[in-house]
Amino acid sequence: MREGGRSEAQVSYVAQAPRAQSGLTEDTFDQWVLPDGTPWTAFYRQENGYLLRFPDLADFFVSADGQRVEERAVPGVAPSTVQHLFLNQVLPLALSRQGKLVLHGSAVEVDGQCVAFIGESGRGKSTLAASFATRGRRFLTDDGLELVWAASGLSVVPSHPSIRLWQDSQEALVSASTKAAPAVEFTTKTRFLAGPEIAFCETARPLARIYYLGAGDADSAEIVPAKAADALLALIRNSFVLDIGEQEVLVRHFEELVKIANLPIHYHLDFPRRYDELPLVQAAIVRHAAAGAHA
Amino acid sequence: MNFKDTVKIPPDVMARQVGDETVILDLASGNYFGLDPVGARIWQLIGEGKPLEAVCETLLDEYEVSAEQAREDLARLVGQLQAQGLVSIA
Repeated sequence: MREGGRSEAQVSYVAQAPRAQSGLTEDTFDQWVLPDGTPWTAFYRQENGYLLRFPDLADFFVSADGQRVEERAVPGVAPSTVQHLFLNQVLPLALSRQGKLVLHGSAVEVDGQCVAFIGESGRGKSTLAASFATRGRRFLTDDGLELVWAASGLSVVPSHPSIRLWQDSQEALVSASTKAAPAVEFTTKTRFLAGPEIAFCETARPLARIYYLGAGDADSAEIVPAKAADALLALIRNSFVLDIGEQEVLVRHFEELVKIANLPIHYHLDFPRRYDELPLVQAAIVRHAAAGAHA
Repeated sequence: MNFKDTVKIPPDVMARQVGDETVILDLASGNYFGLDPVGARIWQLIGEGKPLEAVCETLLDEYEVSAEQAREDLARLVGQLQAQGLVSIA
């Protein structure tokens, strides 16, 4: 079991001795493929759970109830690589098997509440989280946004206390002394650990806003309300769900997202992709989050 | 398309209203579809089991649209829904 009261503490984790990946008799029921066509993850249904295969990197067995993950790395693959795969890909899918709602999104704390940023890879989720966390505000997650219903409404659960950044974002946002995790083999992103320079919020916070990130066409920070149906489709697109072939899972997930989409918390956010603009973007978000529900 | 026909929604297709629009989930494929407010209203009327003729009359009552335009829009939407397997003509 990993330490901590965060997302990764909700799954028991066992690392098996490394072994070469053997052929599997089952057919895949799903595959993730990189934009260049390279297979990235193959999904197999097995007795009592699922096998997630990252070719030449690692296999992960996820129990059907999502409570347990067994890792088996390919010999020679660095532990940091395997941990990266677990935190960013496998853990959110395991949590989805527990009936939890996990989205591709980052989140930061603003005045005791939380604002989340949702969008496809490259839209600036981690950059925004790092921008807040290096300028006096705390982040809750840089991806793997776990939402839970609390008595007061929807809350965000903190995930692993680290932020992954591409080289250009690192240079613009993070000082050379910030502690980083060891390098990972399949990406040039570096994982920076929370600490004095990157502030982390360790407790769940009520969710005040979700911002859907645009393509970066705006000349300055632009925030406009998002229609509920657009919000719902964006939430669906950015959800982690393991095995959409199970209809009851799909129905439960859909009903939950409909409930969230009908809340008055959804906005489109676009901003120019210039690092010198980030303090202004941050100020605009803080102002907006502090204003009324339909500001 | 015969406007005397009724359109049926298969049991593994579910739809929910969000704001003034509707999002449809096809459980068989796991695919989602969005309907704008007019499409959402048509979906609601279809779901009540009204024949297309009656759906069309309701649209004429509720929207400023010509009979020809209403029939054309309705036929187009039903055709698209049918092509995606979200409805069948009874």
